[in-house]
Amino acid sequence: MQSFFQTLVSGLSFGALYALVALGFSLVYRTMGLVNFAHGAVLMIGAYVASTFYLSARLPFAVAVPAAMAVTGAVGLVIERVLRPLENKDFDLMLIGTIGAGTVLQAAAILIWSSAGRGVSSPVQTAPFDVGGVRIPAYNVVVIAVTAVAMAALTLFLQRTKRGTAMQAVAMDHEAATAVGIHVGRSNAISFAIGAALAALAGALVGPMLYVSPTMGDSLGIQGFAAAILGGFGSIPGAIVGGLGIGVIGSFAAQSFQGYSDLVTFVVFTVLVMIRPTGIFGERTVNRA
Amino acid sequence: MSRSPSLPAALRAPQAARAGGLVLLAVLAWLLPYQLNVYWISVADIAILFALLAVGMGLVMGVAGQVNLAQIAFFGVGAYTTAILTTRDGYGFWTAAVLAMIATALAGAVVGTPALRVQSHYLGIVTLGLAVAFIDWITNAPVTNGDSGISGIPAPPLLGINLSSQYLYYYLELIVLAGGLAFGLFIVHTPLGRRMRAMRDDPLAASAAGTEIRPLRMIAFVLASVYGGAAGVLYAGMIGYIAPETFSIADMFLLLAMVIIGGRRSLAGCVIGAVVLTVVQQQLINLAAYAQLGYGLVVVAVVVFAPAGLVGIPGRFRSLYRRWRGSTGTSAVLEAFRPLPVAPAAAGVTPGEPLLEVSHLVRRFRGVTALDDVSLTVRAGEILGIVGPNGSGKTTLFNVISGFYRPHGGAITLNGRPASGMRPSQVSRLGVARTFQHLRLFGNLTVADNMLVSLDRTRTWWSWRYLCWPFGIWRYDRALKRRAAELLADFGLAQFAGMLPGTLPYGIQRRLELARAIAGAPRLLLLDEPAAGLNGEERAQLAMIVRSIRDSGVTVVLIEHNMGLVMSLCERIVVLDSGLVIAEGLPAQVSRDPAVLEAYLGKSAVPSPRASKAPQASEASQ
Repeated sequence: MQSFFQTLVSGLSFGALYALVALGFSLVYRTMGLVNFAHGAVLMIGAYVASTFYLSARLPFAVAVPAAMAVTGAVGLVIERVLRPLENKDFDLMLIGTIGAGTVLQAAAILIWSSAGRGVSSPVQTAPFDVGGVRIPAYNVVVIAVTAVAMAALTLFLQRTKRGTAMQAVAMDHEAATAVGIHVGRSNAISFAIGAALAALAGALVGPMLYVSPTMGDSLGIQGFAAAILGGFGSIPGAIVGGLGIGVIGSFAAQSFQGYSDLVTFVVFTVLVMIRPTGIFGERTVNRA
Repeated sequence: MSRSPSLPAALRAPQAARAGGLVLLAVLAWLLPYQLNVYWISVADIAILFALLAVGMGLVMGVAGQVNLAQIAFFGVGAYTTAILTTRDGYGFWTAAVLAMIATALAGAVVGTPALRVQSHYLGIVTLGLAVAFIDWITNAPVTNGDSGISGIPAPPLLGINLSSQYLYYYLELIVLAGGLAFGLFIVHTPLGRRMRAMRDDPLAASAAGTEIRPLRMIAFVLASVYGGAAGVLYAGMIGYIAPETFSIADMFLLLAMVIIGGRRSLAGCVIGAVVLTVVQQQLINLAAYAQLGYGLVVVAVVVFAPAGLVGIPGRFRSLYRRWRGSTGTSAVLEAFRPLPVAPAAAGVTPGEPLLEVSHLVRRFRGVTALDDVSLTVRAGEILGIVGPNGSGKTTLFNVISGFYRPHGGAITLNGRPASGMRPSQVSRLGVARTFQHLRLFGNLTVADNMLVSLDRTRTWWSWRYLCWPFGIWRYDRALKRRAAELLADFGLAQFAGMLPGTLPYGIQRRLELARAIAGAPRLLLLDEPAAGLNGEERAQLAMIVRSIRDSGVTVVLIEHNMGLVMSLCERIVVLDSGLVIAEGLPAQVSRDPAVLEAYLGKSAVPSPRASKAPQASEASQ
């Protein structure tokens, strides 16, 4: 039982990160109709920028992370401008176009930071909490808390602010949104920048848990995308549940099947998608009737 | 493409040029190894394998429209099965190769299964996930020897030819690629591939034309996997050593880039993309990061500026040149409709007998009841009109009859046989054809191909002939093309045969959709607002065509808002309002029915005979 909870805790921590990644995918898809396969690479850039601020510039972690989010968000604005012709296009083109953009980011990372990865020391030195024999690393608690705050902030932004409501309007019908005076291009740019900042947050948080390297985004991107699909593509609660789901499945798969955790995770994922194609919360799609 | 018998010599010249080009290309490919050093021949060998993989991708993605990110796993299944069977179990190379192909085809069926339920980005992530699962397996499993891989795979023995020479291996690969490409092109241009392209363009319209969507998706995946497997077998035999790093997700994306950059809708484009990117990648291999940067930028640029890929570029220049020359394109004109041969009725149907019986049909959408206990009978040989205000359930009725929606209650009987809850393709095979309110033509198929999809009434399993009797397919296809040319001539569309529907005026597209429905030789034709968007003259022609269709033995049901057309064309009229049948009878009776007037004009309308012309005002504008 103890090991069950131990596995669950580790699954939930990674799940929170996948949820953040899934949230970025969903936000961009929901507001722009773009399936962004460069998201993993953006995450990697965020992780590098954060670790550079934290390790080289010796900023406190709590400052380095928002700074990295801002820088990556700005990078996101540039990427959005380049990919704008692909928005609402045929999926094959979005797929390879965004993969191409991801390749560029990866190459840029190798040129700037070299292909060797770097380890990031944990910013939280507190001893793990002990809850009934289950050891919970303090940093994991921080990750889950930060993720929860980010989710809440995003939900409030989308539902309570004028800008957020306008972005949802663009998602539902970009022509009608234009007609009522919303600047669709600007709205899309902002949502892509927010998506990039979320990816940077995920990257910055995952740095101390894994290892920062130019290819770190590949696997995180695929897991996060799977999480978004599992929850219901475009849905915010879906991203959370999907992320936690993929994290927990992966964690239990790793415990029971060791090396075969990816194999088990994706076979289970495939079966779940076939049972419920639109995800747990149903797809919130861009309306293209 | 259907060519009429009297093809002008000018149109034949490009075909001759194309044949000449092919021969030249074959000779060049044959002589190529004489110009290459040891390093470049190995690059050429790799390029051919990627080309083979890309052709498979082109078939499943470009032709059938199914996202497949597991091609690299098919490559891996082929290679690993060959390696394991030859080194561990001591099978001969060719026996192992055959078993490997069977294993890959099974893998293709497994990966294709999710496509029966999900599409687009869902299918993308599922197939990618399965590829990740496969890679995870080969890096961990004892049987694949994990990270260290399998070495000592024998070169294939072939009539005493030493295939461990990279030069001679090139010829083996070249022959396999040529065969694979020829087979792929044969599929694309004959019934199976035509159906796949129709399914890619519009799965709904394809199923209404009798295409069985699910088996076809499965065939597409199995085809792709067989190409992947062949490349895997050849790779194992060429290198003699395989390890997981050859089958990475990065290589999957490289392969995808080859297909998109070359041109996914053209198998030749896939080959070009594979060759170009392999060579470029090898050239830049020492520059690693810069090469990756350049490659990424090129991919983005091609997708943004040339979405049709490299093969699409000459066409763009050609059309630019034409515009520069000021020629407005075509001089094709719509010809007169030639009345179809008169027949009393289709076989097995007596005029006046009930052909379609709908009883107590119910269909709900969440809270809304779109069809509420609808009953009506269509008699063989009549033209029945269905009218009613917008949102009264007319199109929903057609969608339930043609199998797009399952009914929540009631029954449909077609020619005495129960026909409710069937798939659209089954309904189509029972002799029901339809047109759509908003045109649904296959946009990337020529006018002739649109007709051919509907003309082909074979079942999907008929396609086994591709494996052992291609000549029969070729002959069948020729017969179909002759029939398509006849029908196009009947409908006055012969001059548009080689054009894409999107380039034609709206009225001609409407007529094409009607012709496509008739091509399926239906007993019952459902027309959903056939006159929408037509001008007065086109409407008069439509009335004539519909009468001729009926006289040729086809029963017609039409939904229409244009009351003039309904009154003059239909022998009986059924009026729907809010999902209920509120009136039924002869046009003159129905137009005086108080319930009908109320539905159209509201309660306060005075029921007077003159008001009968009023409903015309509600004609839908799209």
